[in-house]
Amino acid sequence: MSVHRAPDAEEHLPYLEAHFESETRFPWIKVVGYAGSLVLTLVAFWAVSAHWMSPTALLAFILGLAVAQAALQLGVFMHLRESRGPSWQIAGLGLGLFIAVGLVGMSIWIMLFKSGVS
Amino acid sequence: MSQAWPEMEEQTLPAEFAHEEESIKITGFWMFLVTDVLIFASLFSLYAVYAGRMGGEPNPATFFHLGPALAETLLLLTSSFTVGLAIWFMRRRQVGAMTAWLVATLVLGATFVAIEAREFLGDIQSGYTWHQSAFLSAFFTLVGTHGAHVTFGILMALTLLIQVARRGLTPVTARKLYTFSLYWHFLDVVWIFIYSVVYLGGRLG
Repeated sequence: MSVHRAPDAEEHLPYLEAHFESETRFPWIKVVGYAGSLVLTLVAFWAVSAHWMSPTALLAFILGLAVAQAALQLGVFMHLRESRGPSWQIAGLGLGLFIAVGLVGMSIWIMLFKSGVS
Repeated sequence: MSQAWPEMEEQTLPAEFAHEEESIKITGFWMFLVTDVLIFASLFSLYAVYAGRMGGEPNPATFFHLGPALAETLLLLTSSFTVGLAIWFMRRRQVGAMTAWLVATLVLGATFVAIEAREFLGDIQSGYTWHQSAFLSAFFTLVGTHGAHVTFGILMALTLLIQVARRGLTPVTARKLYTFSLYWHFLDVVWIFIYSVVYLGGRLG
């Protein structure tokens, strides 16, 4: 392991490097991403219309598809990692999603205690 | 605000990142999107808590029309793809193609808003207003906030089209177009969750 030391201006820090995707050829990745998003949407629609599983399993299934869809949008279309320096947006977005999942998850969780309310 | 393109050494960067100042504004726009994540998280929590509070009629299983909701989803997904192509052409400095794909995005977005407005007006004419129940309050607030965002995005894109026509593609207009694309993709992601949780999820209740 390397000895810990304060980074100086001369040191090579990959984290601080600019990162951009090469986009010289036709963006087939966007076409594939678009096709993928259509497939995910239609699968979710079909699964619910056909009552493919039990309601609880179906809800988990379509939520999983939605998360995949979101990851696809962020990765393929939003150039999530692109930045001239550190990708601060990943840290911010991570914190935002952490709070979002906590807020929604705990709201649902507390509503499961039906004894005192409803 | 510099309107000129920077020196040769920075020409290898994408148009919207060519100026350091504009790059920082892109990071700032991401932080705005993070706050918007929190707004929609709050409204989704509200919906999760109140979706079962129907006060009689209507209930989620019969209230939603899946056909229009699927059409809205396909429109928004396609518009996400077209704005992605617009940015790809912007990075190649092909302003004509970029404008064409941006106009396509606008038309798709406007169609989305038109379908949503038609659905909402139909509900209201049936007496299903947001006064009716906690479920409908939460539904109209969540979906309406998203629809308002899309409407605002259309106005944003219109002003950008005017700016690009008048100023051409500069580091500033490139950055604005790029942040618009981020905003638009983000709204697509939010809609996917509305479609899954509210419309498809409503059928599972």
